[in-house]
Amino acid sequence: MYNESKLFKTFRYLFLIASCLFVVIPLVPLVFMAFKTGAEYSATPVLVPPKNWLNFYNFAYAIRVGHLGKALLNTAIILTVSLGIQMVFTTMVSYVLHRFNFKGKRIIMTMFTLTMFIPCVTTQTVVFQIIYKLKLVSTIWSLILLWSGVGIVGIYIMFNLLDSISKELDESALVDGANYFTIYRCIVLPLLKPACTTLLILNGIGYYNDFYMPNLYLRRDVQTFTVALYKFFGNMATPFEIVSAAILIGIVPIGIAYLFMQKYIYYGLAGAIKS
Amino acid sequence: MKKKLLSVLLTTAMVASLLAGCGSNAAPAETAPATEEAEEATADDAEAEEAPAAEAGAQNMADADVDVSGLAGTKIAVYTHGGNRVLGEEKKDKDGNTYRDESMAYLTILAKQFTEETGIEVELNVVTNEEEIEPLFQVEDPSIDVFTPPNWSLEQWGAYTEPYCTVAEAAEIYGEEYAKAMPNDEKNIFSIMPGKAYNQAVVYNEEVIKAAGYDEIPATQAEFEKMMQAIKDNGVTPISMHRVENWPLATVQDFAGYVVGDPDVLTECLKEEAPFSPDAPFGKTIKMYTQWKADGFFEPEVYTDFGVAMDSVAYGKAAMMLFGSWVVPQIQGRCPEGTDPSCIKFAPAPDFGAGRYVLAAPADNWAISKFSENKDAARAFIEYVSENAQFIADSGFIANKKGVEPVVPDLYKIINDMIDAGECTPLFQAPKTQNTLNNEAILEEAGLWADYNYVGLLFDSLDVTKPDDWSAYDKQVEDQNALYLETKEDLGFEWQD
Repeated sequence: MYNESKLFKTFRYLFLIASCLFVVIPLVPLVFMAFKTGAEYSATPVLVPPKNWLNFYNFAYAIRVGHLGKALLNTAIILTVSLGIQMVFTTMVSYVLHRFNFKGKRIIMTMFTLTMFIPCVTTQTVVFQIIYKLKLVSTIWSLILLWSGVGIVGIYIMFNLLDSISKELDESALVDGANYFTIYRCIVLPLLKPACTTLLILNGIGYYNDFYMPNLYLRRDVQTFTVALYKFFGNMATPFEIVSAAILIGIVPIGIAYLFMQKYIYYGLAGAIKS
Repeated sequence: MKKKLLSVLLTTAMVASLLAGCGSNAAPAETAPATEEAEEATADDAEAEEAPAAEAGAQNMADADVDVSGLAGTKIAVYTHGGNRVLGEEKKDKDGNTYRDESMAYLTILAKQFTEETGIEVELNVVTNEEEIEPLFQVEDPSIDVFTPPNWSLEQWGAYTEPYCTVAEAAEIYGEEYAKAMPNDEKNIFSIMPGKAYNQAVVYNEEVIKAAGYDEIPATQAEFEKMMQAIKDNGVTPISMHRVENWPLATVQDFAGYVVGDPDVLTECLKEEAPFSPDAPFGKTIKMYTQWKADGFFEPEVYTDFGVAMDSVAYGKAAMMLFGSWVVPQIQGRCPEGTDPSCIKFAPAPDFGAGRYVLAAPADNWAISKFSENKDAARAFIEYVSENAQFIADSGFIANKKGVEPVVPDLYKIINDMIDAGECTPLFQAPKTQNTLNNEAILEEAGLWADYNYVGLLFDSLDVTKPDDWSAYDKQVEDQNALYLETKEDLGFEWQD
């Protein structure tokens, strides 16, 4: 242990407090607004607390009018299915690309890498036409299909863990009569759990917050949470007190997920940085 | 090595995503070839189909009272940006909470009536902005039958819309000046606008101006400014401008028409040596607005949202707004419980030197999708809308179709009476000419077109905390004039008679 100077310690704490405020302060008016009436929101500055902390009108209105319950359910279904498929494919592809040498392996890796350099927006006109021809627009299957694919980031996260899994384990299993799929299912996949958690967190949060794709592909009755939230925005005026309540409702599932997955999130992110 | 490679890749990807996100204009440019291709294709199709389509349109127009009995059971999808007419006007209850007044969901009510009478089902969809439905048009999706987006470009109208009728037919039914102002390619009307509106006037809270000693909006600029001073002295903001967004600057552009009694005043910048100087009509209008800013006639604080700006007038914290009729019912709907919404009134702007004017324009776009498979039912619905004077009045417009007895909404009473008495002249928007396009091209090339920069840069150059220091404004006038002239010369554009 080194002796930390008092000045440095003070600076460190001040810096941490400032960082916390930087994150928390934008949330304060959001919470305040969610409990204000529409008239109160118009009449008072955003940093003034609401008169009645028990005014849940905005929350009820947002759920009823914005169909937020249905939107959250849609989001949950899309995330569960697409992330589930993505995990299976990513682990399989990573296992094959990491453990086996075959003709065309370099080309496949290069193609995966190249996809990182093409901004998603530039390909959307073509992708939309494909999804439209498949008659998947306005159905949850459009997003499930688009989000189930394997990405290079996922492959690299898996590769980092696969590096530390000894190949001798595979070989012993082979000697014992296991086929490649059994090795993948019984040995590799369980050991890839931490990497899967990292990927789930990274992509899960990204997809949950994504607005562009759901707004483009989902219409009418099928909406994700972000699209349902957007419907509160008017051409000219927006009832921000209702929007604030809706945002707080949207934070709840993420908050619950965070509580249950805190350990994995920390491990996953720390692991990703470490690797 | 792999870790290094991973780090480099991740960093590059993050930077690339950031850059992709930064260039909001870049994305459409990058996708332009595909879009252009689609547009070219649809334009070719349009050309090929133009004659029969126009003929069909004309035929349908001639048979406007088409027999719809054979269409019973058909279902049409209507996409509209007018959420208020579908879901109800947004209001506040006695506790101040926001709610939708479903009794004011006029389009929903009208659609039900239409279904009962014709057997044609109508599905109403609200779009938050018109760009949302464009991808469906690009893939020629037939699920949209009728749509009401207000801000398409002529290219978009041509590519996505079934010609409704010819310009000559529309002129016959809606009047020549109104017909020419509907989206058209000089041959066909793409979107019929069955109402008319008086726009860009003074929307005011009568109680506030009464408290300042005035019963009506004064007739002259000097009196108007005197009234604003009296309102300010009462501790109330005279004008709620909502400058935090750019679109409110459009009023300045239209007010310039009133200053000289010429709706084409922006285009006529082409004639001027120094269009932004205070002695030129356009420059004079911007200077007038900026002087009001220096005098403290606009709101001192920034409104977080246009809803809050409207509330300021509804609650009497501000006296007025200078906008179109569309804003009147919205402010009336926001009046607090116990206040009579009719205290929000709509009157012409004062005489800025050439008389009192009000911009008259066709209102309420209704178009049939080129890719609709239910065009007859769609047309029947639009005709039903255009013949329902009460619905048009409830929407804040005046029915304009020949043979339809118009219902004049209360909000137009003052303006209508003044027009009848000859105290106010309707000013029609000038049709787009080559001069209009050239002037827009100059402003675009000079970087002054987007976001109404040709107004905003001047208006913002005055520091409201130093109202007597106009040096920055004068410099901006000089720079802007020089830039305009230089670009005009570079592009080789001159006014064409």
